[in-house]
Amino acid sequence: MAASVASGFRSARRLVYLYFRCLGQQMKAILAYEADFVVLLFSAALVQITGVFFIWTIFQRIPSINGWTFWQVVMMYALIFVTEGVGSLFFEGTWQLSNLVYTGKFDQMLVRPVSPIVQVLACAVGFNGLGNLVTGFVLIGISMANVPVPWTLGRLLMLAILIVSAATIRVAINLGSAATAFWISAPWSMIPMFVHQLGEFAKYPITIYSLAVQAMIVIAIPFAFVSFFPTAWVFGVDAWSLPGLLTPLVAIYTMLMAVTIFRVGLRRYESSGH
Amino acid sequence: MTGLGKYLAMARTSIEIWFVYRTTFVLNMIGSVFYVFAMFYLWQTIFLGSPGALAGFTWPEMKAYLLVSFVLGSLMPWFAEWNMSIDLKEGRIAIDLARPIDFQASRFASAVGPVPLEFCSAVAVGAVVAFMFGGIALPADGAHAAVFLVSAALATLIRFGLVYCVSMTAFWTTGTDGITVGRMAVQNLLSGALIPLVFFPDWLRAVAAVLPFQGMISTPALTYLGKMDAPTTALMLGVQAFWAIGLILLGRLAWRGAQRVVTINGG
Repeated sequence: MAASVASGFRSARRLVYLYFRCLGQQMKAILAYEADFVVLLFSAALVQITGVFFIWTIFQRIPSINGWTFWQVVMMYALIFVTEGVGSLFFEGTWQLSNLVYTGKFDQMLVRPVSPIVQVLACAVGFNGLGNLVTGFVLIGISMANVPVPWTLGRLLMLAILIVSAATIRVAINLGSAATAFWISAPWSMIPMFVHQLGEFAKYPITIYSLAVQAMIVIAIPFAFVSFFPTAWVFGVDAWSLPGLLTPLVAIYTMLMAVTIFRVGLRRYESSGH
Repeated sequence: MTGLGKYLAMARTSIEIWFVYRTTFVLNMIGSVFYVFAMFYLWQTIFLGSPGALAGFTWPEMKAYLLVSFVLGSLMPWFAEWNMSIDLKEGRIAIDLARPIDFQASRFASAVGPVPLEFCSAVAVGAVVAFMFGGIALPADGAHAAVFLVSAALATLIRFGLVYCVSMTAFWTTGTDGITVGRMAVQNLLSGALIPLVFFPDWLRAVAAVLPFQGMISTPALTYLGKMDAPTTALMLGVQAFWAIGLILLGRLAWRGAQRVVTINGG
């Protein structure tokens, strides 16, 4: 028993090690175009700043949207960007999957003695994610300072758990939708992008949407757990805060679903042939 | 083939490419419609909370503004900088340099070819959104509609001129992802694509007024709604034409510089 736990731990550590080795190689490739890399960091931050500015201009005219204040909406917005940042900085590889499958390059991953999911996740780096992460966290910090909520240790700890869970949901959604590449053969599948765009709905309080849209982003593809429910819990909005506590469970569930879709798809995989 | 013929052939080819990848194009457009839906719900809630007009916009006018912005934003999407970057990374630019064509004109031909198709599919998608939210305001009469079409055409020229200029930076930086994302962020804000410019504080309106971006969305959308009187409309169309010509000339200048620094990759 002890031996198997130790070996399990060793193999997990090896996976993490290999993951970062793969990521490091990608980083070198990106840094080859240095000027583009620097501009990309700032551009990613600029996208967020213009987005928050947009919300700010609206709130110059009205005091609240459906009872939601400016800083609450900024928090939702920032969570969308932070989780997107985590996704693109560490797990950009999901976006490459359709191309890997289409060109048959995915074969290489199957002959290596490492989980193909880890290889897919690590096979690309999106440095714009760093810009998203930094600005996202700054915005979260500012909105925390501007909302009348007592910042106890427990609440801060829960906030950290919620952010990690939200990022997990985001990556799981990316991975699960990217795995549709095993069914659809195309050099660049639109389905992951399509699903990704659904995240637009999660930038604003879900109370503004019709029931159908709410059902879609709460149940079908749980983007509401990336931004809305965590914000409601952290800022103590009683009517909506309880589901916020479910976020870690939703994260585990979506990740299990994504891995299952990937595994089922993998069984269908036939090389494109060379 | 002589004169215009070769450019027409390029435009035709790019239309054929559009048809080959039509599913991708249409899905891409439907993807961007989620953004429009979110905006519609957001503004609907805002107008429900404050009936009447906000910054001079009524709810029907805002709906029309959002859809005009969506349709114009769907024309000549995001390919130019990206294509230029790939052409440079893979060395294909050598072929373009060897061809007896005007480089800018050839890029314009390929960009403008699918525009009617992009326009029609965006209008079709937009009509569905409009229907779901109880219809939108139409231009007051034929004259207003005609002026809008002129303004929309100028907006498309500005878009081409701007994107072409920005794509030229690829000759210096090779990768253009960063510049493209930055361009889109600034353009979304200052063109009025995110929110009509009258919502801005005065200082930012002043900034937007002296830059080309407002001619891409704001001016055509305001002509659609008939929100400007005749002299202002004439002036704004003149400003659009100024930027369209200016940016296209600037692009030609940049191309001359680019030919001096170009590196051909591969062999």
